[in-house]
Amino acid sequence: MRITMAHGSGGKATTELISSIFARYFDNPILAKMEDAAVVPGAARLAVTTDSFVVTPLFFAGGDIGKLAVCGTVNDLAMSGATPMYLTCGFILEEGVEVADLERIVFSMAETAKVAGVLIVAGDTKVIEGKGGLYINTAGVGFLPEGDFEVSSSFCGDGDVILLSGTLGDHHATVLSARMGIENTIKSDCAPLHGMVSALLKENIRVRAMRDVTRGGLATVLHEFAVASGKCLQIQEDQIPVTAQVQGLCGILGLDPLYMANEGKMVAVVAKEDAPRALECIRNSPYGQDAAIIGEVVSGDEGTLLLHTRTGGIRMLTELYGEGLPRIC
Amino acid sequence: MCVAMPGKVISVHGRIAVVDFAGNRMNAEAGLVAVKPGDSVLVHAGCILQVLPEEEANILADLFAELEDL
Amino acid sequence: MKDYRNFLKEYDGPPIRIMEVCGTHTASIAHSGIVSLISSKIQLISGPGCPVCVTVTEYIDRLITLSLTPDMVVVTFGDMIRVSGSRQSLQDVRSEGGQVRMVYSPLDMISLALAEPGKTFVFAAIGFETTTAVYAALMDGIVHAGIANIRILTSLKTMPRVIEWVCSMQGGIDGFLAPGHVSVITGSDLFVPLAEKYHVPFAVAGFEGEQILIALYALVKMISHGEGKVMNLYPSAVTAGGNKTAQRMIETYFEPCDAAWRGMGIIPDSGMMLRSEYLKYDAGSRDLFSDHSHHPACLCAKVITGAQKPQECPLFGTLCTPDKPQGACMVSTEGSCYSYFVNRRNA
Repeated sequence: MRITMAHGSGGKATTELISSIFARYFDNPILAKMEDAAVVPGAARLAVTTDSFVVTPLFFAGGDIGKLAVCGTVNDLAMSGATPMYLTCGFILEEGVEVADLERIVFSMAETAKVAGVLIVAGDTKVIEGKGGLYINTAGVGFLPEGDFEVSSSFCGDGDVILLSGTLGDHHATVLSARMGIENTIKSDCAPLHGMVSALLKENIRVRAMRDVTRGGLATVLHEFAVASGKCLQIQEDQIPVTAQVQGLCGILGLDPLYMANEGKMVAVVAKEDAPRALECIRNSPYGQDAAIIGEVVSGDEGTLLLHTRTGGIRMLTELYGEGLPRIC
Repeated sequence: MCVAMPGKVISVHGRIAVVDFAGNRMNAEAGLVAVKPGDSVLVHAGCILQVLPEEEANILADLFAELEDL
Repeated sequence: MKDYRNFLKEYDGPPIRIMEVCGTHTASIAHSGIVSLISSKIQLISGPGCPVCVTVTEYIDRLITLSLTPDMVVVTFGDMIRVSGSRQSLQDVRSEGGQVRMVYSPLDMISLALAEPGKTFVFAAIGFETTTAVYAALMDGIVHAGIANIRILTSLKTMPRVIEWVCSMQGGIDGFLAPGHVSVITGSDLFVPLAEKYHVPFAVAGFEGEQILIALYALVKMISHGEGKVMNLYPSAVTAGGNKTAQRMIETYFEPCDAAWRGMGIIPDSGMMLRSEYLKYDAGSRDLFSDHSHHPACLCAKVITGAQKPQECPLFGTLCTPDKPQGACMVSTEGSCYSYFVNRRNA
């Protein structure tokens, strides 16, 4: 069965769609009330984020657009030190979407939300003319801990150590491979990182800055840190984890893992003395088994990101220029 | 633009070879060089340009010797 | 073997200017941070070896027109999508309904054409000798399978005439890092006549950092000893005579022609196009010479021949950036101005 304009009309077809798919899988006491707005308990300080997801194909090795939507939103909240609590999700469906596919995606979102410990408390569905495209918008709310805990890209200081939670490029490589018909066993790394972040905070690791490494890649994030902090960040190419398969794909297509998108990786800048414990923390967290220390913060050369290459040379890295490649998240 | 990558030939079917690049498999045109399964090949834009030798070290050593003579 | 690294780092002889004439070498040099590993007395200059960069605006304008023609689809490498013609790029025209598709290999065209026989597919055939070999294989496939709905629009360039142009412009180039993958097809002997005529050394190099350092070492040695010859430092892939099968296939389908180089004008005999007997597969490549790319203050022609550095161009970093490139050198990831802008490579 396919989605038609009737499903978006607000009438019987819409109600049936909501109850048979959205309400069924996202089931929780707040959503069940089906009021115009969800009323939820709050906290003194909230983290709020929004994102939209338009990836094609909808399903790929290691995930789908739904899992991506939950993880992406959860990770944005987690990166500000917040405990992710609530998500909203709005679907824009083009006519022709297979209801079975929609169900798979919603189920995937529900499962991922359970793992991430979040409730999906509000939603919306619109149907437009088209050829089976599917787009998701989310908003996320998280609770910040009491006190004045703060991380910021401008807090990087001399001697701080840079950690990366795992291999680069997996998500980007997965989507490209699917689009170009390249056979491999690369899987998207799409994952919720709230557990990794809370482990770091529980251990009292002094985290200066942290960010999930999404579009634009590691180089774009670290360059932002360098500019915001007015420092020089230096990283070692041979310390940066990249799988052989992703490296191989990069070789064929002329891509650079430093600028590729990830959906389950984070970078953290921590106080030097805390670095060994931070590494252990991340490695013992789900999705952090390949974590590595990749560099440090130094003074001089303000606002620059330098890579020590495998050849032993130095290369300056900027943020990603141009679109690069077709949208992959 | 002359991005080319070494890979290993898995199989050959007429003018198409299946080439493995560190676990990525793609088809490549095999009409410009005679290839067989197991060959290391250089591939550019979906086309095999050259068969690569298994042993490179010796060749470079000779070149270095030539340079020392200069 | 570590000695060559020390030699390059500590070189203190007369200043040397070495040019790489392959866009992929430009990218590899930046990628490996080569400039930080050599003496400041060895200057590396990026030459006109980036086929995307040296494509004139009229070629892109023609592709745009074709993409808007009913039942026609323009197929291209990703590199070309953002390059501007006189007004817009292929990426821009997509939003106006232009039919443009990206592929990894020109040979992917065949399955595209067979899947949609009612449409004509036109490939944006740019490149140097390396890629021309691939187009020759494509032509061979099309002709033998009797496929009628494929065309190519060519802006193919060759190395010898443009290197000669650089030498004759007297930009003071002491040695050339010769293109490794072009040489796989043509053979390293391609550069011998140039080396002899201008008494300047060529080192054919691979693309790994180590391979480039080795080739630079060979060049500095040859320059210091006044040797105007060709050395092949990529013997695993390159032979003196090259890939004869590929050369024969190129000759079967293509012949030399005059070509226009963005920001440089027309260089006689520096390009290739389909032979007259195969012109029915051509999408109108003849005489695409018009070039409305540049701002009057653009110094691309001087930068591309090593006569001036990217940062010496008044537009560099201000009116001309990777997001809004004015001329050839900033357009592609292999251009010298792009490379300098993004990686602060000391040109």
